[in-house]
Amino acid sequence: MPVSEPVRTTSSGPGRVLIAVYGIFALSATARAAVQIAAKFQEAPVAYLLSALSGVVYILATIGLAGHRPWSRRLAWTAVAIELVGVLVVGTFTVLDSGDFPDDTVWSVYGRGYGFIPLVLPLVGLWWLRRTRAR
Amino acid sequence: MIVALEVVVLVALGVLAVYGLVTTALNRPPDRTTKIAVAVVVALLVVQAAIAAIRVLTGVQLAETSTFLIYLAVSIGVLPIAAQFATATDENTGDGPTRWGGTVIAVGAVAVAVAVIRLQYLWDARV
Repeated sequence: MPVSEPVRTTSSGPGRVLIAVYGIFALSATARAAVQIAAKFQEAPVAYLLSALSGVVYILATIGLAGHRPWSRRLAWTAVAIELVGVLVVGTFTVLDSGDFPDDTVWSVYGRGYGFIPLVLPLVGLWWLRRTRAR
Repeated sequence: MIVALEVVVLVALGVLAVYGLVTTALNRPPDRTTKIAVAVVVALLVVQAAIAAIRVLTGVQLAETSTFLIYLAVSIGVLPIAAQFATATDENTGDGPTRWGGTVIAVGAVAVAVAVIRLQYLWDARV
């Protein structure tokens, strides 16, 4: 039996670190949005809905990266791509005009409130998905 | 919140994070020392959370009580989950824990440290 290269999965080795970071962002973004929407939705509905969207995107990315089902990788690609677009669009929008964002979201000003990790994380995610794809 | 205890907790979290990164650098999976270190840090966090929760429930008024209580729960819940994930065997591939387990624990420790610092801000916003 020929020695074949082991199948790389997105959850192997350093992938667990990436999943841990995504899991923490899924937790914090979702909890934050839940509190915002429950307590003061009327103050800034757009920002709070974006908070909720970011939470969902992080949850889906975590599930996709941690999973081993046929659709897991596609889910991860999609979620991470949406995450990258989201942080770039919301980041740019909040830098140009903060008026419509009275309250911060995870993605405001490219994730400044979270040490700019939200800007770096999707780039690392895309790199990892590319690196672990089937060869 | 007791400032002295908070300082001890933050130092313990910092030491745990560094230890996790060191095991990764030395190419060692999480060992018994790691598990004991996580248990000690979690015990400190539970004491802190218990004191804070009792004080909130017995009359200390905060500006954002629900957010504070969520952060308290996060502060004690993240590390046990991170440690479990760091040392688990991957049920799909059969891979055991790798050197990266220490980094997973370090990520959890840093996240908890952020939560503890936010707890202090919320505590300072007493009514």
